[in-house]
Amino acid sequence: MFYREAGKLVGSFGKDRRMLPLLEDRWLAVLFVAFMYFVVTAIASDYMFTAILIPIMVLGVATLGLNIAVGYTGQLSLGTAGFMCFGAFSAFNLILRIDWMTIPLAFFLSGMIAGGVGIIFGLPSLRIKGFYLIVSTLAAQFFAEWVFNAYPWFLNYTSSGVVSLPMHHYRVFPGQENTPFNAAFWYSSQGRYLVTLTVTILLVLACKNLVRSNTGRNWMAVRDMDIAAKVIGIPVAKTKLMAFFISTFYCGVAGAMYCYCYIGNLDFMIFNLRRSFLVMFMVIVGGLGSILGSFLGAIFVYAWPILITRGSDFIFGGGAIDTAFIENNSKIVVGTIIIVLLIREPGGFAALWSSSKQKLRVWPFAQ
Amino acid sequence: MNSPDNKKSILVLKDISLSFKGVKAITDISFNVYEGEICSVIGPNGAGKSSMLNVINGVYIPQEGTISFDGKEFTKMKPHSAAVMGIGRTFQNIALFSGMSVLDNIMSGRNLMMKANFWEHALNIGRAEKEELEHRQAVEEIIEFLGLQSIRKTPVASLAYGLQKRVELGRALAAKPKMLLLDEPMAGMTMEEKLDMSCFIQEINRNYGTTIVLIEHDMGVVMDISDHVVVLDYGKKIGDGAPDEVMNNQDVIDAYLGVSH
Amino acid sequence: MDYAFFLEVLVGGLLSGIMYSLVAIGFVLIYKSSGVFNFAQGTMLLLAALTFVSLTERMVNFWVAFAITLMIMVVLGIIIERTVMRPLANQSLLSLFMATVGLNYFLEGLAQGVWDSAVHGVNLGISNDPIFLIDKFPVLGLDIIVSYFDMAAAGIAGLMILGLSLFFTFTRTGLSLRAVSDDHLAAMAVGIPLSRIWAIVWAVTGVICLIAGLLWGDRVSVSFTLTSAVLKGLPVILIGGLTSIPGAIVGGLIIGASEKLGEIYVAEWIGGQGIEHWWAYTTALLFLMVRPTGIFGEKEIERV
Ligand SMILES: Nc1ncnc2c1ncn2[C@@H]1O[C@H](COP(=O)(O)OP(=O)(O)OP(=O)(O)O)[C@@H](O)[C@H]1O
Ligand SMILES: [Mg+2]
Repeated sequence: MFYREAGKLVGSFGKDRRMLPLLEDRWLAVLFVAFMYFVVTAIASDYMFTAILIPIMVLGVATLGLNIAVGYTGQLSLGTAGFMCFGAFSAFNLILRIDWMTIPLAFFLSGMIAGGVGIIFGLPSLRIKGFYLIVSTLAAQFFAEWVFNAYPWFLNYTSSGVVSLPMHHYRVFPGQENTPFNAAFWYSSQGRYLVTLTVTILLVLACKNLVRSNTGRNWMAVRDMDIAAKVIGIPVAKTKLMAFFISTFYCGVAGAMYCYCYIGNLDFMIFNLRRSFLVMFMVIVGGLGSILGSFLGAIFVYAWPILITRGSDFIFGGGAIDTAFIENNSKIVVGTIIIVLLIREPGGFAALWSSSKQKLRVWPFAQ
Repeated sequence: MNSPDNKKSILVLKDISLSFKGVKAITDISFNVYEGEICSVIGPNGAGKSSMLNVINGVYIPQEGTISFDGKEFTKMKPHSAAVMGIGRTFQNIALFSGMSVLDNIMSGRNLMMKANFWEHALNIGRAEKEELEHRQAVEEIIEFLGLQSIRKTPVASLAYGLQKRVELGRALAAKPKMLLLDEPMAGMTMEEKLDMSCFIQEINRNYGTTIVLIEHDMGVVMDISDHVVVLDYGKKIGDGAPDEVMNNQDVIDAYLGVSH
Repeated sequence: MDYAFFLEVLVGGLLSGIMYSLVAIGFVLIYKSSGVFNFAQGTMLLLAALTFVSLTERMVNFWVAFAITLMIMVVLGIIIERTVMRPLANQSLLSLFMATVGLNYFLEGLAQGVWDSAVHGVNLGISNDPIFLIDKFPVLGLDIIVSYFDMAAAGIAGLMILGLSLFFTFTRTGLSLRAVSDDHLAAMAVGIPLSRIWAIVWAVTGVICLIAGLLWGDRVSVSFTLTSAVLKGLPVILIGGLTSIPGAIVGGLIIGASEKLGEIYVAEWIGGQGIEHWWAYTTALLFLMVRPTGIFGEKEIERV
C-alpha cells in the first residue's frame, strides 16, 4: 500500500469520525464517483449500462437493505424479493395514478411504503426470536407473490400479467410532463444509469451515516447481545422495527429501480423466493455487516454466470455451451463459495479485502 | 434490619423469591443498599447472587417481593426502566457487543442521552453530529480513566479477558449510573489486574458517589473495599452487615466451611 | 355449511399433512443432532427422486434402483455431514443455516447437472382412484370422497413415522440423539460417539428423502417443484418446536389441514386462489405468536 494511517494524526473527534479518515481514501472516493459520472457515462456501451452496471447497482442496494436487517441487526429475513415487489408496485401505481408524480419522489415513496410493510412483518420479531423469525418474512414473501396477482388493480388490469413500463410518461425532474428532455433522458440507457447511480450513491451515504451513528450502534448491539442492549437502555423493540423499516425501505427502492431502471417492465413473477435467496447469497458472499461487501457480493453473484457465458463464448465460440450447463455450473460454484466462505472467512469478500489491505500495508516487511 | 438511621437506602429489596420451573433460586430475601456505599454480595457457587442482580435490574422477574430504587417501588422492574433510573450493570460472563470496537461499545452506553432521530442520523444533520462529538468527549474521559486509549478502535472480541471486563465497566460507566451492579468484575484476573480493577471501583465510588453492588469471591478484596456485605447461601440470606461483623457470624463461617445443612 | 364437504377437505388436508410430517421429521432429526434447519432437504428430495427415476428410465430394475439411490443418499448425507456441518460446528445459527442454503444451491446445480432438468413421471403402481369413504364408514352417514393414492401415501408415510418414532424413542441411538441435542459437549464427555449419531441421522434423512420424494413425485411428477418440499416442512417444524418429533407430527397435521381449509374457505372470502403458501406461514406465525418456541419447544430463560 502506498499510504497508511501511521503518522497521520487527527486533531479532532469530528475528523476522527469521518467516513473515510484518510485523505488519500477521500480523494480516491471523489475520483471514483467522478469517474462513474463523467467517464463511464461518456464511454460505456448500451450493453454495459443495461446488462451490467444498472443491475449490479440495483441489486447492490437490495443487498445493502438486507444487510441492514441480517448483517447489522441480526434479524434473519428471507422476504427481500417480496419487499422489492412492494416497492415496484408502489412506484408503478404512484406514477400511474398521481399525475404530478416524479420519478425520484416515486422511488422515495415506494421505499416508504415498502418500509411500512416491513414494519408490519417485523412486528413478530418483538416476540419471536432466532430461527423462528424466518416465518414472518417468508409469509411476507409469499403474501407479496400472491396479492399482486390476486388483485389485478395493482397491475392496472393488464391481462398479460406484465406491464411494459415505457408506455407511460415519466417525469425524471419536476416540470412539464413529457418534455423532450425528460423523454430523451429516460429512454436513453445513460439517463437510467445516471438515475440509478445517483440513488445508489445517496443510499450508500445514508447507510454509512446510519451505521456510524447511535442508530447503527443500537442495531449492532441488538445483534450482538440483546439482553445487554436492553440493560444499557437501548429500546430493543424500536431498534428492531427501525431496522426492519430502513432495511425494507432500501429493498423497496431497489424493487422500484429494478423495474424502472433495469428491466423496463413490471412483473410480479420476478420477485420470487429465489430472488430473495440470491440477494441473501450476495450478502453472505460480500460480507455480513459491510456496505462495501454488499456491492462486492452483488457484483460476484450477478456477474459470475455472465462471465462464464462470455468466457466460453470467447474460447469455444458463441453458443457452444448451453445455458443449462452455465446455470448449473454457476449454482455449484456459488454454492461452494458460500460454504467455503462460511467455514474459512465468515466475513465474506469484504473481510478478504480488508485483510489483504492489511497485508499490503506491512508489505514487504512481514507476511 | 440493621440499618443505621443516618444512612439513606437507595435500594430496598423486600421478600424477593425467584424460581425457575419450580427450582428455587432465591428464597424470601430482603436487604437494603445505602446510598454511596460499596456493597458486596458473597456466597458459594449457585447461591443466587447473579440471579439477585438480575432481579434488581429487571432481567429476571421475581415471583414475589418488591424492589424500591430511589424511593420508587416496583413489583416488576424492567431492564429499560432500570437503565433510565440510573442502574448500570456488568455481567459475569462478559456481555460486550462483540462485533463492535471498544469505542463503540462505550459510546453505546450513552444511548439514553442521545436524542437525534434516525433521519438526522441518516443525513448527518441537526443534532446528529453535534451530539456524537459531545458524547465522544465524555467517552474519551472514561477511556482515559480506564487506560484504554491505545485500543479504542480495536474490536472487543480480539481483546484479552481482563481488558474486556474493563471495557464492560466503561460501557456501564458511560451512562453515568447512580448505582452500578458488578457481577464478579475481577473473576479470572491476575493479581495486578484485580488491583487495577478494585482501584477503578473505589475511584468511581469516591469521585462520582456511585453506589456499588458487587459480587466477588475473593475475600481479601471484599474485606478491603466493601462498606457492607450481604451473604447468600442456597438462595437464602445468611448474613448482612459490616464486613468484619459478617465474617464473624457463625452461619457464614459454616456456609464457607461447608457444614452440612 | 356443507359438513360432508368440509370433512372431505379436512381429511384431504390431514392426509397431505402426514406427508409434511414425514418430511418434517427429517428436519427435526438433523436439527437435533447438528443444531441446524437443513434447507437443502428439499433438493435432497429432488436428487433422490431424480436419481431413482433416471435409473429406472435406464431400465434398471425397480428395487435395484431403489437400493442404489438409497446408498447414494446415505453416502451423500455422510459426506455433507463431514465436509459442511462438522467444520461449522459451534458456529452461529445463522451461519449454519446459510451453509445449508449454499448446500441447497450446490445440490440443485449438481442434481440437474448430473441428470437433467426435465420433468419426469414416476409410477409406484398405486391407483389414483377416488374411494368413497361412505362405504367404509357408514356410521358417519356423510358422503366423503378421498383419493386412494392420498390414503396409500399417507399410510406409507404414517408407517415410516411410526417406525422412526419407535426407533428414536426406544433404541440407544435414539437416547444418544436426545443427549446430543441437549448438549453436544456433555454428550461427548459421557462417551456418546457423535460421529456415529450424525452419520445415522443423515442417513435416515436420506431414506426419508427418497420415500417422500417418490410419493410426492408420483403425485406431482419429479421435477424442480419437488424442492418446494422444504417450504412445506419449514412451517411444520416451526409450529412443532424444531426439536420435537411429536411436534413435527402435530405440526404437519395442522399445516395440512389449515392449508386445504384455507384454500377453500379463506381464499374465496378474500378473493383469490393460491393462498396456500402464505396461509401456511401465517398459520405458523399465529401459533408462534402464542408460543414463540413452538408447541413442543422448550421455553428458555436466557442466562446472563
Ligand atoms: N435462566 C435460568 N434458568 C434456570 N435456572 C437458572 C437460571 N439462572 C439461574 N438459575 C439457577 O439459579 C441458581 C442460582 O444461580 P446464580 O447464577 O444466581 O448463582 P450465583 O450465586 O451467581 O453462582 P456463581 O457464583 O456460580 O455465579 C442456580 O441453581 C442456577 O442453576
Ligand atoms: Mg453468578
